[in-house]
Amino acid sequence: MIDNPIIFYPTSILIILFAIMAISFKNIFYSLLSAIMVFFLTGVIFYVLGSEYNAVIQIAIYGLAVPVILGLAIMFTNPKDDKSKLSSKLKFAVILTSGLFLLSLIYLVLTSLALMPEGFNISENIGTNPISAMSAFGALFTKYVWAFELMSIILTIIVVGLSLGVKKGVKQGVKKGGNVK
Amino acid sequence: MIYHYLFLGLVLFVIGIAGSILSKHVIKILIALEFMLTGVNINFITFATFCDNTNFDGFIISLFYVGIGAIELAVALYIFYLMYNKKQSENIENYGDL
Repeated sequence: MIDNPIIFYPTSILIILFAIMAISFKNIFYSLLSAIMVFFLTGVIFYVLGSEYNAVIQIAIYGLAVPVILGLAIMFTNPKDDKSKLSSKLKFAVILTSGLFLLSLIYLVLTSLALMPEGFNISENIGTNPISAMSAFGALFTKYVWAFELMSIILTIIVVGLSLGVKKGVKQGVKKGGNVK
Repeated sequence: MIYHYLFLGLVLFVIGIAGSILSKHVIKILIALEFMLTGVNINFITFATFCDNTNFDGFIISLFYVGIGAIELAVALYIFYLMYNKKQSENIENYGDL
């Protein structure tokens, strides 16, 4: 566990900021981008908390897989309003401001780390628990094996059921000669 | 320090509740629900880290929670697919006869 407030506070402020942005944006695509940032930064929080395995799962599933599915759903809805597009000057200002904000944040974190007695070597603080967190996941195959198997069966049923349902819907759309989405 | 992590989880959960109540767009509501799940996940991992140094059960329950969240999202998006084909709208107010 890296019990370091210099990493925790900027990350948590960014999580809250992006979460508020995600629910307040009118354009759903910008909401999705903000949500991706929230999920990635939550993975960082999990890593700070000493659960590297959960951080990887969080970034792989919520940071990558779920946004791909949600992006496909947004493409499926096909929004036709182009009124929410930013003008080029405003876009440049937004990119410049966010870039400056990011650079200042990096500068803040790096200088704070340099002022610490440990310097940049934060890896010394990792692994203070007597039992390694990774070995705890062996309980998936002993204590929680039935729950694990049940979850895998439910996931398989969902994947097969959804594939069959979508295939049936596409076939019905072809028979009607309508719009196949 | 544990209270700071718990507060972060609480804030994320409240933002998720607010988003799911105030939003009209179906996909935005789903994103808000995922925020709520993430807030709960942060709490699970915080308790596992600070209060349980032997079993780490919170880490494993958090993994199951991620699985449940993925299943919930897949089923919700399939229902959305069916309803969108019928209504041609993503506004939740048109889905009253679900």
